[in-house]
Amino acid sequence: MKKKTIIAYTNEHKRYLKKIKVDKATTIIAQVLILVVVLGLWEILTMTNAIDPFFLSSPSRMIKTLIETFKTGNLIYHIGVTVYETLIGFLLATFLGVFIAILLWWSEKLRKILDPYIVVLNALPKIALGPVIIIWVGAGTSAIITMCILICIVITTLSMLSAFLNCDKDKIALMKSMGANKFQILFKLIIPNAFVDFVSVLKINVGMSWVGTIMGEYLVSKAGLGYLIVYGGQVFNLDLVMSSTLVLCLIACVMYMLVGILERKVRKR
Amino acid sequence: MKDYLKLNDISLSYHTKEGETLALENLSFSANKNEYLSIVGPSGCGKTTILSLISGLLKPSKGEVLLDGEAIGKNVDIGYMFQRDQLFEWRTIYKNVTLGLELKKKAKDEECLKRVEYLLKQYGLYEFKNSYPSELSGGMRQRAALIRTLCLEPKILLLDEPFSALDYQTKLNVCDDVHSIITEEKQTVIAVTHDISEAISMSDRVLVLTKRPAKVKCIIDINLPKNLTPLEKRENKDFSKYFDLIWKELSNEKENNNSIHK
Repeated sequence: MKKKTIIAYTNEHKRYLKKIKVDKATTIIAQVLILVVVLGLWEILTMTNAIDPFFLSSPSRMIKTLIETFKTGNLIYHIGVTVYETLIGFLLATFLGVFIAILLWWSEKLRKILDPYIVVLNALPKIALGPVIIIWVGAGTSAIITMCILICIVITTLSMLSAFLNCDKDKIALMKSMGANKFQILFKLIIPNAFVDFVSVLKINVGMSWVGTIMGEYLVSKAGLGYLIVYGGQVFNLDLVMSSTLVLCLIACVMYMLVGILERKVRKR
Repeated sequence: MKDYLKLNDISLSYHTKEGETLALENLSFSANKNEYLSIVGPSGCGKTTILSLISGLLKPSKGEVLLDGEAIGKNVDIGYMFQRDQLFEWRTIYKNVTLGLELKKKAKDEECLKRVEYLLKQYGLYEFKNSYPSELSGGMRQRAALIRTLCLEPKILLLDEPFSALDYQTKLNVCDDVHSIITEEKQTVIAVTHDISEAISMSDRVLVLTKRPAKVKCIIDINLPKNLTPLEKRENKDFSKYFDLIWKELSNEKENNNSIHK
C-alpha cells in the first residue's frame, strides 16, 4: 500500500477542484428545479382551474388515486401482473435471441440463407402482428408475453450476432493455433468476448420489453398497468391514467438501474 | 540439427471473385533447430501467409511443409505470436497463460502446471498471476503471451511482427527480454517483420523475399557475436553493414516493382 502523504495543492489546482464541485452542484440543482417547477405549475394551474384537471389530472389527485388503489390492493396486483409479464418476456427474448445468434454465428451458410428474412422481420413493426398473435396463442397473458418477445428478440439476435462476428481474427487464429475446436472457440473466446455487448443488449431489452408488454396489454388484457392506462382512458379517468404512467416510469427506472449495477460490476473486472 | 523445418517448392493462390492471385511461387527454404530466422520482404508479399502455412492454418496449393521430418498436420505443436499480445481481458494472467493447456485438456496435468509455475517465476510474472492483463505494462503483457505459447512446449515458435504494436523504447526492452527467453528455452523461431534493425539484432539468419509472388531472394547470415543482447548488437560496428545489405536487397525489389508498373 502507498503511504498517504499530505499534498499541498497549488491554488490553481484548488480552483480546478472547486470548478468541478460547482459544476456538479449546479447540474443537480437544475435537475431538481425542473421537477419542482413542472410539478408546482401543474398543481397551481389545475388548482386555480386555469387548466381543467379533468383533462390533465394533477399531482395531488395522482397521489390520492395511488393511495386509494394501494389501499384496496389493486395497485400491487396490477404492478405484479405487468412486472411478471415483462420479466418473463425479457428473459425469454434475451435467452432465445442469444441462442439464435449463436446458431447463426456457428453456420455461415444458415446466416446467408436467413439474412433477407431477418432484415424483413427487423423492419416489420411487430405491433402489426397483434391480431395474429391473439388468434394463434389466445387472448391472455401468453399473447402479451409473445408480443414482448417479438419486440425484443430480433434486435437481441442482431446485436449479439454482430458482437460475435466482431471478434478479433487474430484471437481466433490464436485459438486455432493452440488446437481449439469450434466449441472451445465459442465458449472460451466468442461468448466471453461479447459479454460487454451482452450487457448493452440487456439495457436495450429492459426498455424494449416494457414497450412490448404495455403494447400487449393495450391489445388484450384483464389486468396490468397497461390495462389500467387503457381502461382509465376509456372512462376518461385521467387520474388513473397519469398515476399508472407514473408508476410505470418508476418501475422501468428501477429495472434499468438494476441492469446498470450489473454492468458496473462486469466492467470493473 | 539442419533442415528442422523445411518448405519444399510451395505455391499458394488466393481466390477471390475478381480472380486468382498467386501469393507464393515455388518457395523453398529451411530452418535449423534452435535458430532464429527472420523473414523480411516488401509489404504485401505474403510474409504472414508463410506463417499460416507452417502453422497448418492454411494449406498450400502445391508443395509440402515438413517439421522435424513430418508433414504439417492439423494439430501441430506450434506456438504462434501475433502483432498484439491477444491476451483475453476477462482472464487473469494465470488463466491466460494456461489457456492452451485448457484447450488440450491438460489443465490439471501436474507436470504442465509445474512448467507454468517455473516459467512465470523465471520471467517475473509470478506475483502478477492473479492480475488482469489491463493491469500490466506492454512489455509484461508480451512476456505473458510468450509464456502462454511456451508452456505448450511448441516444436517451433512463429512470430508475426510481435513487437510492431509497441512504442520504440518498450520495443527495445521487450526484444531483449524475448530474445533471452527464447535462447534460454532453446526455441526454434520463424519471425516475420518489416523492421530491418529488429531482424538483424534478433536473428541468426535473415531471409529476404521478393515481391509477389514471393520467392526467396537471398538469405543473409548474421555473424554478430552470439553472446550480445539485441540492444548490444545494434551498437556493434558490423550492424550497419548488415542493415545496408538488407536495405539494398529490399530497395532493389521495390525498384523492380515500380519498373513493372511503368
